[in-house]
Amino acid sequence: MIRFEGVGKRHPDGTVAVEGLDLEVPTGRITVLVGPSGCGKTTLLRMVNRMVEPTSGRVLLDDTDVAELEPAKLRRGIGYVIQQAGLFPHRKVIDNIATVPYLLGWDRKKARARAAELLELVGLAPETAKRYPFQLSGGQQQRVGVARALAADPPVLLMDEPFSAVDPVVRAGLQEELLRLQSELHKTVLFVTHDIEEAVRLGDQVVVLREHGRIAQLADPHTLLTSPADDGVAAFLGRDRGLRGLGLRPAKAVELRPVDDGLRYGGWELALDDERRPIGWIDRSAGTAELQPSAGYRPDSDTLRAALDAAVLSPAGVAVALDADGRAIGTASREAVLAALTPAGGGPVSVRKPDPADAMGTPAGADTVGTADGADVVGTADGADGGR
Amino acid sequence: MDDEPIVRWYWIGDHLGYLGNLLADHAVIALVPVLIGLLLAVPLGLACARFPRLYQPLSAVFNIVYALPSLAVFVVLIPYTGLATQATVMFPLTFYALAVLLPTTVDGLRAVPDSVRQAATAMGYGPWHRLTAVELPAAVPYLIAGLRVAAVSSISLASVGALVGRGGLGYLFVDGFQRTFPTPIVAGITLIAVLALAVDLLLVAARRLLAPWAVREQGAGS
Ligand SMILES: Nc1ncnc2c1ncn2[C@@H]1O[C@H](COP(=O)(O)OP(=O)(O)O)[C@@H](O)[C@H]1O
Ligand SMILES: [Mg+2]
Repeated sequence: MIRFEGVGKRHPDGTVAVEGLDLEVPTGRITVLVGPSGCGKTTLLRMVNRMVEPTSGRVLLDDTDVAELEPAKLRRGIGYVIQQAGLFPHRKVIDNIATVPYLLGWDRKKARARAAELLELVGLAPETAKRYPFQLSGGQQQRVGVARALAADPPVLLMDEPFSAVDPVVRAGLQEELLRLQSELHKTVLFVTHDIEEAVRLGDQVVVLREHGRIAQLADPHTLLTSPADDGVAAFLGRDRGLRGLGLRPAKAVELRPVDDGLRYGGWELALDDERRPIGWIDRSAGTAELQPSAGYRPDSDTLRAALDAAVLSPAGVAVALDADGRAIGTASREAVLAALTPAGGGPVSVRKPDPADAMGTPAGADTVGTADGADVVGTADGADGGR
Repeated sequence: MDDEPIVRWYWIGDHLGYLGNLLADHAVIALVPVLIGLLLAVPLGLACARFPRLYQPLSAVFNIVYALPSLAVFVVLIPYTGLATQATVMFPLTFYALAVLLPTTVDGLRAVPDSVRQAATAMGYGPWHRLTAVELPAAVPYLIAGLRVAAVSSISLASVGALVGRGGLGYLFVDGFQRTFPTPIVAGITLIAVLALAVDLLLVAARRLLAPWAVREQGAGS
């Protein structure tokens, strides 16, 4: 766990970057700092690995004041990923990834074997190992940057707008990849972005910052989107925050009409092939054989947003629920999707990421971010994973 | 000189060994100072990168040296190094090389992207370690570009040394002018050009070998 205690940073020129910040970053979770440019995000991040020294307060890493730790040693235990990747231009990808292992004195063979492992982990082809950074695309460089940060298996990962410089499609892929990695590795991630979309997508908890690093709101993404603390946060979240909130809720909640109950909706009929894969919608009133495309979603893995999107796109106003093989398992009208927006009981369920604490078999109560329990459990598990 | 041809080939044929000696002499006089300049420029450049305040005064000194007319420097040095010793020529040439190589080294170190520097720091490199293990290797293309300029100008400057009695191929110019006999002059010019070209090609090859990752890098004046 990382804890900021009354942390402030005043630069020699009088600029106040951060003032009196208290924050807990729970172990094994992704905490996102989001806020406008210049609000002190980078400053906060760098206080953790002592690239910036606070002028007041202190930063604790697992209850040790980082100011008491030797910077080089501290940093080798903390992964750091930045926007421009910062790969060493004169080193091949494999040696870039092995940088920290080399610094830690691993022998070359072991370091390179570990680097090759990581190359695969971040989804890069083995032949990438021998390339130089300039031969990679921006997205590939970012992956190498992530691999390099993970090379010595540090429990903590600091990421400063790591995906901001790549185009949206690549960015979405990288975000996906980070969530997948995190579900395996359970790092304590402090992630900085100015993109609220990215923040709610990645964060277990999201910290909305104002200037001087003041916390405007700290909440899980769903709470943030549905109940912003004030007008300022609401404005920062943007006008379609309600819709985006749907992207955080499981499509499972939508009640389906079984395929066997018939495929007719008003003047439309869903046509399926022999394997029950949708072919398209038939407009029965038009009397032509022409098929309109059907839109589907996966109830087990998609969100309410995807279900609603499919229902809106369908000419019949009906989304087709598909299984992993693309076979129709049921249909959901727009009404059915909307009905799922007001769950009968219980609060919103977060489905987005496997909960590390749950994965460890802890009681469901441990899902609130930042509890000492959750932190401890994950911390221990991390330690057990740590030995390679 | 009216009926004297530009080149009398027999003279060249008769003096092949002599020309070879002058060429070797010239290469040593011109290139050893560049090598020494490099050996001094790297630590000085690293120090300037680490302590930026050093750079202004140091580069001012070398710029002034660079501005001095070479012949005047040679003449001034004679009382100390003696006429006709190689040191008379090599000593100032070392300073000229340094005047070219120090700024290119510092520029090269500074041209390393900030993101690279920050990533290195964040992984636990201390300032000196980072300079020598990350920034210096990344600056190699700049160093080689500087070496190309320094080597070629040193090869050209070394011929002036002949005027103070020691000059490798430059002696051919003195000889040719004194006898109004153009053949040695032409031979000298040709050999200097060949030497400069050969050294330059060698440095280009060195760059390919030492910095294969820099093929796409522009800049560094090469
Ligand atoms: N070395 C510095 N000297 C003076 N002011 C600085 C320095 N570094 C950052 N700042 C200021 O501190 C504030 C916060 O900067 P930063 O943490 O980089 O913001 P963010 O990452 O959120 O964009 C900004 O106003 C910035 O101008
Ligand atoms: Mg920043």
